[in-house]
Amino acid sequence: METINTDVLIIGSGAAGLAATVYAAQSGQNVLVIDKGAVGKSGSTTGAVQIASLGDWSDPRDNEDAYRNDIEESGRGLSDPKLTQTLAHDISERLQDLISWGLKLDVDEQKEVALSATSGHSLPRSISARKGKTGLGILQTLIRLVKKSRNVKTWSDVITLELVKSSGRISGAIVYDLRNNLPYFIESTAVILATGGIGQLYPVTSNPVQSTSDGFALGLGVGANLVDMEQVQFYPVSMVAPRSIAGFCISFYHYSKLYNSLGERFMKNYEPENMEDTTRDKLAIAIANEVVAGRGTPNGGVYLDGTEAITQIKKEFPHEYELCLDRGIDLAKHRAEVGPAAHFMMGGIQIDEHAASSVPGLFVAGETAGGLHGGNRLGNNALSECVVFGARAGMGAAEMSLKGMNSDHTDLEEWKDKWSPLFSTTKGKIRPYQLKQRIQEILGEHVGVIRSDKGLQQAKVQLKDVQAQLAEVNIKKDFMSREILDYIEVRHMIQTAQAIVGAAYMRKESRGAHYNTDYPSLAAETQKTNVQFSNGEFTFHTFAPKGGVS
Amino acid sequence: MAQLQVKIQRTETNTKTYDVTHSPDMTVLDVLEEIYHHHDETIAYRFSCRTGLCATCMMMINGKPSLSCMTIAEPNDEGYLFVSPLPKGKTIKDLVKVPAN
Ligand SMILES: Cc1cc2nc3c(=O)[nH]c(=O)nc-3n(C[C@H](O)[C@H](O)[C@H](O)COP(=O)(O)OP(=O)(O)OC[C@H]3O[C@@H](n4cnc5c(N)ncnc54)[C@H](O)[C@@H]3O)c2cc1C
Ligand code: FES
Repeated sequence: METINTDVLIIGSGAAGLAATVYAAQSGQNVLVIDKGAVGKSGSTTGAVQIASLGDWSDPRDNEDAYRNDIEESGRGLSDPKLTQTLAHDISERLQDLISWGLKLDVDEQKEVALSATSGHSLPRSISARKGKTGLGILQTLIRLVKKSRNVKTWSDVITLELVKSSGRISGAIVYDLRNNLPYFIESTAVILATGGIGQLYPVTSNPVQSTSDGFALGLGVGANLVDMEQVQFYPVSMVAPRSIAGFCISFYHYSKLYNSLGERFMKNYEPENMEDTTRDKLAIAIANEVVAGRGTPNGGVYLDGTEAITQIKKEFPHEYELCLDRGIDLAKHRAEVGPAAHFMMGGIQIDEHAASSVPGLFVAGETAGGLHGGNRLGNNALSECVVFGARAGMGAAEMSLKGMNSDHTDLEEWKDKWSPLFSTTKGKIRPYQLKQRIQEILGEHVGVIRSDKGLQQAKVQLKDVQAQLAEVNIKKDFMSREILDYIEVRHMIQTAQAIVGAAYMRKESRGAHYNTDYPSLAAETQKTNVQFSNGEFTFHTFAPKGGVS
Repeated sequence: MAQLQVKIQRTETNTKTYDVTHSPDMTVLDVLEEIYHHHDETIAYRFSCRTGLCATCMMMINGKPSLSCMTIAEPNDEGYLFVSPLPKGKTIKDLVKVPAN
């Protein structure tokens, strides 16, 4: 196997990975950014509409403390105060950087930066760029800089199989180039994981096809701590039909009305004060409850009526209005069938305020990192997280490599056995995509919005079966082979799925996005869950959060 | 469910025909997924967001450059859906181009 050398390796090229790239590159160190899809076009970031902010345009009452309080309030006791403080502290500077690099913020009729309200934020704080295609705008801004930096290389269509550790620290990663069907060892002083989320573990998701939870499995593989993996955010109001846009997020639910099949505006029974304008965890649980109680629509959702706010909807969310129209649903006239879709992983690899994980040399940023959002992420805080912690990860990793903290000679013996189906003829009957679908079914049935101990136990057993079936796959070997990609992804998915199920089973209460019908209320004491993997076994435990969060 | 005849230009000299089970709400991307799952595991095409934002699923559909996730699958005048790679840039395999970056 060929070895490629770099100072900093960045895995994933969404907002977090590319922010890390740009800040790491400022040090002059050599930076390599890889992506299993097309660099800069393959993650959740392209779908993001707005970003939460502090800046010259802020409401006069807004400040770091107010922003931080909102995150911690929404985190249901699970947000790490060091991370919330860092986010609130750095965000305005990071946005200034992006603006100075050419990001143009959207403005209102008075030509002022357009500021809008988002559920759960106590003050209007959301801004956008590129007419509501903010994620894309940020990616394009960062890519322009990447192209200009001589010390940055990008590499599309390479997927990470494993991170590599030697003498207790990260020494690089083993990757698989899908174009020429070859593995490589990328040796680097520091690695930044920015592989995005987990949506593809579920049958209905807002996430792109690449969101197969790879980063969580990669972290587990080198002994990283994962926290609060049971905290999966379901976007409460996404399309359930037609199937070509199943999972598509509707951002304007707080201007709309939701009805069950009896024609009842059911949120009055759950959140009489805020109605639909409530946080995502509460709204998703309410909708799922209505469906379970038999008051759902034919496709298993509820009805969204946006007719009264249609002018505002067309103006603020034109892409959403038009895509629905294109698929035969004119929101000016018709109701849409909506329901929860897997959207965001609040848990993840535990990081400190420098985006460093517990494994020396491994930095993590964006959705793959855990601990900032706790039990519920507020809207538009994911992009702000990506730019703030992406930047910190980039700077931290570059600093480490400047100090030349290299590890000893790396021993690369075992990995090839573990991935032998990629290098030998397979004779099984099962196709990798079928195992992906099976994982989606299991998590959809037992680890969705509403969970129970019995369901979680079943999920655990069923996932073990899927893991056993991995030995019976058949992989058609070819260059740019989707079968190979699916096989590698399903291996990562099975690891992360087991981490989620185990963490969910540890939490004997309902908190944030985790709702267990056997324990429908909050426990008196706040505990975080932790997952680790070593010697082929998962270990799960709970611990009291530091910093006295209540 | 009806059948749709789909022709995919896989190389300059090789166009392959598939008869795919089809319903009227399917996009071209849905049809390609159907082919990958049930007809031909070697077929290669890019996509990511499924909602018209990333543009990685761009290809020639019935002779016009289009996003496969945003185009409802319909036969051309000759009675089949014709899919081929974008003419510009290097084709890696089937419908996959080298990304613009
Ligand atoms: C439809 C939608 C709308 C959203 N709207 C908003 C919004 O309005 N505001 C907001 O703040 N947040 C929003 N979010 C959430 C937010 O977009 C994401 O959490 C955030 O963009 C994640 O960025 P990231 O850089 O961590 O990962 P991503 O952008 O997902 O990028 C991860 C990259 O890593 C690559 N990758 C993954 N695994 C591997 C591997 N093994 N090897 C190599 N490469 C790999 C992927 O191909 C991908 O390119 C939305 C999410 C979705 C899905
Ligand atoms: S898949 Fe992203 S535009 Fe079609």
